[in-house]
Amino acid sequence: MGNELGTILQLFLRSLETGSVYALAALGIIIIYRTSNITHFAQGSMGMFNTYIVTYLFTSFSMPLWASTLCGIAAAVLIGFVVDLLVIRHTKKISPVAKQIITLGLIMVFLGLSPMLFGVDPLLLPRFIQSGDISIGGAAISYNAILNICTGLVLMIVLFYVLQKTKMGLAVRTTASNESTAMLMGVPTRKVTLAAWAVAGVLGCLSGVMIAPTTTVTTTLMNAVQVNALFACVLGGFQTFYGPVLGAYIIGIGRNFLVYYVSSVWGEQIMYLLILIFLIFRPNGLVGKKFIKKV
Amino acid sequence: MKQTNSLVKTNEPMWKRIWQNNHLRFMLFGVVIGLLPWLSDAGLMKSSTLSYIGNVLIYAVAALGLNLLLGYSGLISLGTAGFMGLGSYIAAYVAKDMELGFWVATLLAILIPTLIGILIGLVSLRIAGIYLAIATLCVSEILLKTFEQLDTFTGGMQGKTTAYPTLFQNPLTRNGTYLLLVVALILVMMLTHNLVNGQMGRALHAMRGSEVAAQAMGVNLLKYRLIAFSLATAYAALAGALYVFFIKFSYPSVWNLNLSLYILAAVVIGGFRSIYGTVLGAFVVWAIPDLVLKNLPVIGEINGLAYIFNGILIILVVMFAPGGIGGLWPKILRLKDKLLGKNKQDKEPKEAGDAV
Amino acid sequence: MSDALMDMQAPLEKTTHTLMRDDVLRVEHLSINFGGLKAVDDLSFSVKEKEIFGLIGPNGAGKTTVFNCITQFYRPTEGNVFFRAKGSEEPLNLVGQPVHKIIRYGLVRTFQNVEIIKELSLLDNVLIGGHIDFKASVFEQALKLPRARREEKALRQKAEEVLEFLEIGSLKNQLAGGQPYGVLKKVELARTLMAEPKLIILDEPAAGLNDTETEALAETIRQVRDKFNCSVLLVEHDMRLVMNICDRVCAISFGKYLACDIPEKIQGNKLVQEAYLGEDEA
Repeated sequence: MGNELGTILQLFLRSLETGSVYALAALGIIIIYRTSNITHFAQGSMGMFNTYIVTYLFTSFSMPLWASTLCGIAAAVLIGFVVDLLVIRHTKKISPVAKQIITLGLIMVFLGLSPMLFGVDPLLLPRFIQSGDISIGGAAISYNAILNICTGLVLMIVLFYVLQKTKMGLAVRTTASNESTAMLMGVPTRKVTLAAWAVAGVLGCLSGVMIAPTTTVTTTLMNAVQVNALFACVLGGFQTFYGPVLGAYIIGIGRNFLVYYVSSVWGEQIMYLLILIFLIFRPNGLVGKKFIKKV
Repeated sequence: MKQTNSLVKTNEPMWKRIWQNNHLRFMLFGVVIGLLPWLSDAGLMKSSTLSYIGNVLIYAVAALGLNLLLGYSGLISLGTAGFMGLGSYIAAYVAKDMELGFWVATLLAILIPTLIGILIGLVSLRIAGIYLAIATLCVSEILLKTFEQLDTFTGGMQGKTTAYPTLFQNPLTRNGTYLLLVVALILVMMLTHNLVNGQMGRALHAMRGSEVAAQAMGVNLLKYRLIAFSLATAYAALAGALYVFFIKFSYPSVWNLNLSLYILAAVVIGGFRSIYGTVLGAFVVWAIPDLVLKNLPVIGEINGLAYIFNGILIILVVMFAPGGIGGLWPKILRLKDKLLGKNKQDKEPKEAGDAV
Repeated sequence: MSDALMDMQAPLEKTTHTLMRDDVLRVEHLSINFGGLKAVDDLSFSVKEKEIFGLIGPNGAGKTTVFNCITQFYRPTEGNVFFRAKGSEEPLNLVGQPVHKIIRYGLVRTFQNVEIIKELSLLDNVLIGGHIDFKASVFEQALKLPRARREEKALRQKAEEVLEFLEIGSLKNQLAGGQPYGVLKKVELARTLMAEPKLIILDEPAAGLNDTETEALAETIRQVRDKFNCSVLLVEHDMRLVMNICDRVCAISFGKYLACDIPEKIQGNKLVQEAYLGEDEA
């Protein structure tokens, strides 16, 4: 009995780690959605590319992990800037569908750049804290997992603080609710969008660095993260910043419990199906609002 | 388009009348690409090139379906590869394991994925358009997992093999199967042409122009979005069946998201709502990287070149030439007319109609 | 409480759940709220068969909202919209019906900003109006089976006739993009006629037309009524057009009923004058 409880606790803690990864990626997607009105399908691919940079610096230049991660973050900011300056900034007038297609094109670009620059062989990225775990109520959790959970939480708290309490955050929220009005009110929407792409890039990079040690670094590294992060946005609703985070943790928990208790092979797929069914009943997500279309 | 026919004057020369009949033109196009195997047999073309072109034709079928969806209703499906894969496994299973022959195999390979597509469409299309992209992305992940795990049906990671099809007790060779692809593509092009120029096409056009006005004219938005998505799924499934009969194997890693993106690229580059454009787009997306870029010095050595090429091309087309290849055609014609000093008013609609 | 008030003002306008013998449309106690705002407030009027009926009111009076409530683009908060549907004697309450079904009952509308598809020819644009008359399935259309061919041919002929009737038959193969506004307005009207409507709702048909075109439009609307045996309900800013062609006019202000009468009496109505004067002063 106690053992059972321990298992549940263990699963729960592991879910918090998975949830953090998804939540960071989802936050990146929602920030882009709110500031650029784009469903960002390339969040995972850009994260994958930046994780490649981290891994490459770590393995080929024997850089310490923390230093290569910092370089990866810097690269993420830079790439975010480049994407916004070269592409996104010039797409203000095109339809949302065309913008989505652009992010799909970005996927292909990063999918091609990665093997071009870093080769086709899978790379390995170790954990920040190599070993050691502590036991909480019969459940073991590694120091690294705690680090990941805390990083995720701290980042989110900082982001929400910035969004809710600072002038910069107000600018982002104004841009998110109505870009042209925001521009008229003197909000520097261009800077806001630029910053949003940088922030999304960093969030993607960090989620990549967190997930990489559990597998190998290849071009498919972030596929599951991308899908789950998008689903987190759907589940939480695209209208708020906290909804997707909530959705990410729910998906993290749901996924791990389904994988453990129902099917190790099909757990994730069952999760997807459940979300699809959920959508029938609450199409706007957990905390979504309904729009009234004007005719 | 249909008004073309009414414009044909009886005293025009025969070749012109043939040229102005859209269906004959499709057939002519089919004859041209159908002659390629003889080029290959005569040693004028590498045998592997024929395989590449066969692939292009298969992907063009799927791309035509996606264009019905994306070009007309502005909805993105990321499940194209998944549905293609499903079609290919069903075709292989029915033809090889159940020995029911080519026709039954192809029919089932189209029907089953289409029914699944309708279900997914019913769930996601009631909500905003973006949900279809996400729902199909998720379905393609589920399908991919199924292909990997359902050994008895898909052969798991080893994949599933099959033989060239047998038509009317007549086992086909590679060239014969290639011709089968050509026939299938031309038929699909004709059917698509009929659809987009008939009532359904007009309803989709109306939806694209203004959903509100379309509804006032009695167009049921959900119904037509669902039809467009079902057609896209059916085309993809047919393409999958053709793939497994031409390539003779199917394994999971073929049917990943990247393939869906390639097909999307073919549609975008080829031009929305353009039938010939889509086929050309498929050629640009698959054949140019494989047949041209790979043979270039230095550049040809780069890994991931095809992805970069197509990715950048998509972005450039969306930003600077949203009509794609198909959108260039009317411009070329207009330029030609300008150069020749023709500026007849009654020419205008015909040109735009023929752009497809 | 509001019902009681209503009864005092207009004792005859009780909920009837039916139509008078010569009514084609009856709007009853229609109200719609947006947020806290009452855009339409307890409005009632009825349109008779073969009548040209005008709905007027100063800017922001809620005229278009009334249209949207009748055609079910908006779901009214309260009230009923009874309509004598095509081929049925029993009046039908439109409230709650799906938007795309409305046209099947014989109620078609145009839009303030003409909604025409630029890439299609005028003929194809008009054919969209015949959407509901196609019975052939997608398969029959793809394979061009006899029924699909037959329907396409018949409707094409009908569309050509309608275009001919509106005197733009010679333009049928032209692309809609680039055509003058007046022609597009006629195309939109032609599209409504394809459905053989019992009632056509015109949303500011004269907007963007010059004086001569407006006069021609008035004549066209009359001809349409006579030839197609239908009623016309129109919202219009151009008072001359309204006074010229309408059999009866209903005036509203801030979503509320002011008066309903023949044009001459509406012009002399104190309440209506005040409502419009108020607008001028502001």
